Amino acid sequence: MDMKTMLRPDAGAVADVVRRLCGDYGDRAVTSHAVREHHSHGEGLADAGMPDVVVYPHSNDEVVAIVRLCAAARVPVIPFGVGTSLEGHVAALFGGVCVDLSQMNRVLEINAEDLDCRVQAGVTREQVNAELKGTGLFFPIDPGANATIGGMAATRASGTNAVRYGTMRENVLGLTVVTARGELIRTGGRARKSSAGYDLTRLYVGAEGTLGVITEIQLRLYGVPEAISAAVCQFPDLESAVNTVITAMQSGIPVARIELLDDVQMDASIRYSKLEGFAVQPTLFFEFHGSPAGVSEQSAAMQAISDEFGGSAYQWATLAEDRTRLWKARHAAYYAALAFRPGMSAFATDACVPISRLADCIMQTKKDIEKSGLTAPILGHVGDGNFHLVVLFDPKVTEQRARAEALAKAVSMRAIAMGGTCTGEHGIGWHKLDVLAQEHGEAVESMRAIKRALDPDNIMNPGKTVPL
Amino acid sequence: MLDPSLLAALGEIVVPSALLTAPEDTRPYECDGLTIFREQALAVLLPENEAQVVAILKLCHTARVPVVARGAGTGLSGGATPNRQGIVLSLAKFNRIVNIDPLTRTAVVQPGVRNLAVSEAAARYGLYYAPDPSSQIACTIGGNVAENSGGVHCLKYGLTVHNVRRVRAVLISGEIVEFGGDALDSPGYDLLALIHGSEGLLAVITEVTVRLTPKPQVARCVLAAFDDLEKAGAAVAAIIGAGIIPAGLEMMDKLTISAVEPFVKAGYPLDAEAILLCESDGAPDEVSEEIETVSALLQRCGATLIEVSQSETQRLKFWSGRKAAFPAAGRISPDYYCIDGTIPRRSLAPTLKRIGELSKEFGLPCMNVFHAGDGNLHPLILYDANKPGDRETTIAFGAKILELCIAAGGTITGEHGVGVEKIDEMCVQFAALELERFHSVKHAFDPDALLNPGKAVPTLHRCAEMGRMHVHRGQLPHAELPRF
Repeated sequence: MDMKTMLRPDAGAVADVVRRLCGDYGDRAVTSHAVREHHSHGEGLADAGMPDVVVYPHSNDEVVAIVRLCAAARVPVIPFGVGTSLEGHVAALFGGVCVDLSQMNRVLEINAEDLDCRVQAGVTREQVNAELKGTGLFFPIDPGANATIGGMAATRASGTNAVRYGTMRENVLGLTVVTARGELIRTGGRARKSSAGYDLTRLYVGAEGTLGVITEIQLRLYGVPEAISAAVCQFPDLESAVNTVITAMQSGIPVARIELLDDVQMDASIRYSKLEGFAVQPTLFFEFHGSPAGVSEQSAAMQAISDEFGGSAYQWATLAEDRTRLWKARHAAYYAALAFRPGMSAFATDACVPISRLADCIMQTKKDIEKSGLTAPILGHVGDGNFHLVVLFDPKVTEQRARAEALAKAVSMRAIAMGGTCTGEHGIGWHKLDVLAQEHGEAVESMRAIKRALDPDNIMNPGKTVPL
Repeated sequence: MLDPSLLAALGEIVVPSALLTAPEDTRPYECDGLTIFREQALAVLLPENEAQVVAILKLCHTARVPVVARGAGTGLSGGATPNRQGIVLSLAKFNRIVNIDPLTRTAVVQPGVRNLAVSEAAARYGLYYAPDPSSQIACTIGGNVAENSGGVHCLKYGLTVHNVRRVRAVLISGEIVEFGGDALDSPGYDLLALIHGSEGLLAVITEVTVRLTPKPQVARCVLAAFDDLEKAGAAVAAIIGAGIIPAGLEMMDKLTISAVEPFVKAGYPLDAEAILLCESDGAPDEVSEEIETVSALLQRCGATLIEVSQSETQRLKFWSGRKAAFPAAGRISPDYYCIDGTIPRRSLAPTLKRIGELSKEFGLPCMNVFHAGDGNLHPLILYDANKPGDRETTIAFGAKILELCIAAGGTITGEHGVGVEKIDEMCVQFAALELERFHSVKHAFDPDALLNPGKAVPTLHRCAEMGRMHVHRGQLPHAELPRF
């Protein structure tokens, strides 16, 4: 990191920007400690920096005006959705202006025949699907948290059904972006494919707010499957469960979701979500989407594979409310893990490896956990090779935190060594800055060149993702 | 003439037979699939390994000599048209499949490997490479990445960008970079996506890891005929609007049918105004169910004939006509010009109708055969280059169609790229601010603009000149867009 990044912006310039914003936006520009603190971190660890002011724009024009003001004064701009990120993406490392987009929350258009819709950045995932009710369409990407679409685009979120529907990379058709200079541009568009010009859409998707502020998103939609069925299957050991997944993926069964919960996570989830009829054993949750015949074909093929690996009888959940209960338990897994050891802090690892290395990677990781003496449930969207550890530690015991960090580091390094990544879906933010160079080598220089080209004054979420 | 000392230095990098300078040797490289633009390069180099590519680029970088990378030369927008001040870098010798991993379902291939060769090599594992541009027998993976190629099946299986995991490339400075990775996601900026469709302007690709797809158990095709083009367009919207993503969804109009049917005898009804081919693939029961739903929808949309393929032979016969459409155009007309606009699906019917009207206005027949499911049009304007004025009328007609696409919220190129062909239309599709961002990206990779200069992204100056020209004629589309 060079000195330019290390320096905080000029205090006088910041004070001036804050004054101007308070004047222009009244009670939509907030400087209270509580609000600034709330905007200083996501759901990951809370060691972070506070912005000097939080402003809530209502339109593209307002975002343009805010960014122009900041650009002229060289004051950092940190876009914020609802703060569900895990790697410190929203921390204002050098102070500055937090642009909270949650009040830009309108669904602008729904084009059923084109299977797309356009939304403002502050619309949440659940809100999109609520507004799509009755159209026969849905937006499938589901990172667990009820994140904003803007935040999901910025972090290239994926989730439990990426194995079927892809990540935000595959499902954002176009964007409206306010650039670092405060210009409003549109990328991509309604057309399903285009080879005109560079792919700026995918460049801004996943840039974690370091190249511009995403204000509108054109999303790809899908027909609600005619039939959905979910099943749960328990295994005598972790390896059998993982091998079931690998075999299923290699047979090309188009499963919509496969989730793995190890014995420790099951213990936590059974208690927290009051699940009945389950043993404390490694467990797979499945979901199948398609036509009635397609769904039964898929699940029969899946059952044959789990039988082969000693899986228990399937427990079916064809009723919507049973399915909801199961997936609620899965979504609450992080909170279940926290409740499992009250008073403990946690961070989540995010390894993702080629599917052929998954069994190796998880089994070696399980051994690491045992050696560390820590509690660290394993869970994940194993269908795409991605799994998480929720590493629990006592924040009051320095030595425990060090052990927890060492464990997380070991998991990351192993994933990279196996040709994978240590951030399958949580992104880099600033907690994982050190790994970028390890994974990308020379390509990091190209990323820096892009950052310099699109944000020459380094005001967009500085110090994150690809720091200058 | 290339500077003699540079020529000598290049000669030390590659074997003598891989450095071509005589006009008769460089002539085969004077154009790609877009033959109306031709240019002679100062030299053509055919390196055989990455170290040679690095050495060549370093020399050209220092000497400020433009470099145009080339695969099989099947591109349709002039992306590989040589630069008369520069060299052509052919990747033809990079034709090795390095590795196929059936467990991870990936193949590592060199850029000069043909698209179809990947599928052929993967077939013994029950896998294939999904993107299938019509030129797949000849076109190379490196070129596919550079153009972000699509194909008949990309509706369900995605474009090249969705089917590539990792790209290894050399920058103009000679540095080797790798974009993407073997896992699902790769942190940091999505430079892997950026390199797709960059038309050789950012880096020279030296290795590609592609994703392989399991071969579906069954594939069946529905052939539907309509007595009205608009009804066929509405049927496409109805199928997609019902949430069905067929493996392929293609449309042909009457002129195409009449050109194709005598040629390949695919069994198309000659009295139809339009036919649709809709393919379904997957597990047997799933396919039957989807075929049933699709047939019902087609019926409701007024199809006059619905035929479902009963065997693999019949399925291939249905497709044979679609695949022969371009050669068939060549049979009924001395020349044809293929357009590549993409529009939102719901605008299909009105846009097709308007193209029909324009065809009458310009006095040139136009065949419509295209990837209807993606809304990717391929109007083929039939003309005679030897007839005075025909070429100019054709270009004007083509430009009009592209403007129609942009006005419908679409794009000037769905899968063929911009190249030299559509560089002026870029000024219509993109505002100055967006073009500036393109230039920023280009500058970050290649500040001296040595890789494939003059292609894909117009200078703002060029747009300004074109803008003035259009204003002068009083027909500037989208006058509200700033153009400098």
